[in-house]
Amino acid sequence: MSLDTSASATESGAAPRPRRWRIASWAPVIVLVALCIIIGLINPNFFSFGNFVRMSQTAMIPLVLGLGATFIILMGSIDLSVEGILTLGAVILSMLVLNGANANDLGIFGIFIVLAVGASVGFINGVIHVRLKVPSFMTTLGVWFIGVGVANALLGGMATRINSPLIRGLAIDRFLGFPWGVWLALLCFVIALIIQNYTRLGRYIYALGGGEELAELSGIPVGRVRIMTFTLAGIFYAVGGILAAAQLGLGNAQIGNGRLFTTITAVVVGGTALTGGRGGVHQTLIGVLIVVVLNNGMVLMGVKPSVQIGVQGLMIIAAVALSIDRKLIRIVK
Amino acid sequence: MVKKLIDHAMNRRVGRRDFLKGAAAAGAVGAFPAIITRSAFAADKPTVVNSIRSLSNPYHATWNAGGAAFANSVGTDYVTLVTEGNSEKGIADIKAILAKTGGNCVVNVDPNDSPDARPIVEACKDAGAYVVTQWNKPADLHPWDYDPNYVAHISFDGVPYGKAMAETLIKAMGGKGGIVALGGIESNTPAIARKAGLMEALEANPDVELLDFQVANWSETEALEKTNAWLTQFGDQIAGIWAANDGMALAAVEALRADGRAGTVPVTGIDGIQLAVEAILNGEMAGTVAWDPFWQGGMGLSIGYHAKTGEFDPTTEPKDHREFYGKGVIITADSAQSYFDTNIAAEPTLDWNDIWGRVNGQIVY
Repeated sequence: MSLDTSASATESGAAPRPRRWRIASWAPVIVLVALCIIIGLINPNFFSFGNFVRMSQTAMIPLVLGLGATFIILMGSIDLSVEGILTLGAVILSMLVLNGANANDLGIFGIFIVLAVGASVGFINGVIHVRLKVPSFMTTLGVWFIGVGVANALLGGMATRINSPLIRGLAIDRFLGFPWGVWLALLCFVIALIIQNYTRLGRYIYALGGGEELAELSGIPVGRVRIMTFTLAGIFYAVGGILAAAQLGLGNAQIGNGRLFTTITAVVVGGTALTGGRGGVHQTLIGVLIVVVLNNGMVLMGVKPSVQIGVQGLMIIAAVALSIDRKLIRIVK
Repeated sequence: MVKKLIDHAMNRRVGRRDFLKGAAAAGAVGAFPAIITRSAFAADKPTVVNSIRSLSNPYHATWNAGGAAFANSVGTDYVTLVTEGNSEKGIADIKAILAKTGGNCVVNVDPNDSPDARPIVEACKDAGAYVVTQWNKPADLHPWDYDPNYVAHISFDGVPYGKAMAETLIKAMGGKGGIVALGGIESNTPAIARKAGLMEALEANPDVELLDFQVANWSETEALEKTNAWLTQFGDQIAGIWAANDGMALAAVEALRADGRAGTVPVTGIDGIQLAVEAILNGEMAGTVAWDPFWQGGMGLSIGYHAKTGEFDPTTEPKDHREFYGKGVIITADSAQSYFDTNIAAEPTLDWNDIWGRVNGQIVY
């Protein structure tokens, strides 16, 4: 046994490792294609245009949330405030645009205000995490509950119906057969891709995830990068809140329930390592599609409801197990 | 600009100790029991007390309004206690109010969790106060074991209302076709009972086929996703959607709207929230059931108050007045407008002396 490992360790020193990495990064795509084929064989309706539109509607919110979370996870941190910021954004939006509870009608300005709120909450996340040196896990856990709490206080437990045609149009009006919300999510994806690959911030995020001490010694302003990344993530979550409110046509304090689990699952299933430094938003897109296709497929195939949530849980463990390079990690906590 | 903001935040010397001090101060303020008193305690008339989960959901907010309306009608002091989902806090706050009033009070409580009912009832008996519990209590805790202080326990049976909504749905569909159903959390008692009611209605209507039953865990998001998948799977076969609560029903309506079919496929919910009643008025939902928390908040107090002031003797009441199912209000297209006018647009007016008016049979365990 010990002989075995030492032998493979010497081998992996040179050529084989890059190839193994390449297969690992293509694994999510292979899984996605295989899933589509299997589900399509069992229920041909899966490949109908109508179903693609419905799946894209389901995927748009996890995608924008996943984009934000990917940047955080790439740094090797974790962000649990997804539901808090989303809920806060959706509730504030429902109170600012044309709605059934008050006389506000800010339209597009309402959207900008919500984005600013998302950015500020993300900024607060970053400042508490960096300045007070509170682990991101605890900081964002706290901000999650604060966000939901404030949303609850704003509405007093009630739900507000959104009547603004601009917001409802994101879910109902279509361009080339797909709702505008889907196009908005794709735009966010392109922006995230540009930030990741062509900006200094994007490259710094990878550097931090790869080795923070090294990055700091190289002169990267580590604290500033962290704060900016949390702020950026907050904006993406706010977009998620806008889309969620548009889709349900209302804002209430329970609108974010269950979003965190789907988001983290999608990021991890896409192949972004929880240890940081590896992965990216393009892989999150694949991860979101896998989660959405699987959920859609389980209903199409008539899988029992009690089994469905278990399958999601298995998938997240399998994905992490696949994405970890065990040779690099000696201790797991 | 952004850089400057960040730099500013980076350089501000907020010590961790300062932050913790601030947090501790905020915590101390929060630790005061959330007793909201309306006026000074009157010496003679018993104070009436509602203990509920929070004031941040429409259900309990309406409950509280009912309690205030009853207190107003008899001219006594009214106190609201909120547990915020914390059983210890719920019990401690009730003990505090028992001590403050010297037992001269009536408690109407929606216990945070079933086991909480026992210590609450025991504390009330020891203090000489009268208590009514609703929804949650252990099956072996009975009002007649704590005569006369434990006046009554009120709950609602999900089976007949799940069935009534299924029947409303089937009627709206014209008696035949395929339906899909959205359930609550699988292990949850009301979810189980409401589903059982649906199944009873389906047995009586062989022309209606249950295409699929999925659990959406009371969540709007999950209900929307499940309904979307069904629209692919069954398409035009879906002639109606039954949901175990209003939130999921409204999400199903939104999924239908994105498909251009809102209003053509009838949907039913349960709970009677405002948005659901409005959806019935729009013709997008076919029905819902209101539990009438206004009645629960006021009548629970009224039953206890009448016992405390000696207008009836709980010990001689039959068992179906001590542990009973209340009546829900079935709302359909025919009754939605009048329900909206009397219960949502205006504060409802109830006869608080009609204490047994909504007894709907003894609770079966």
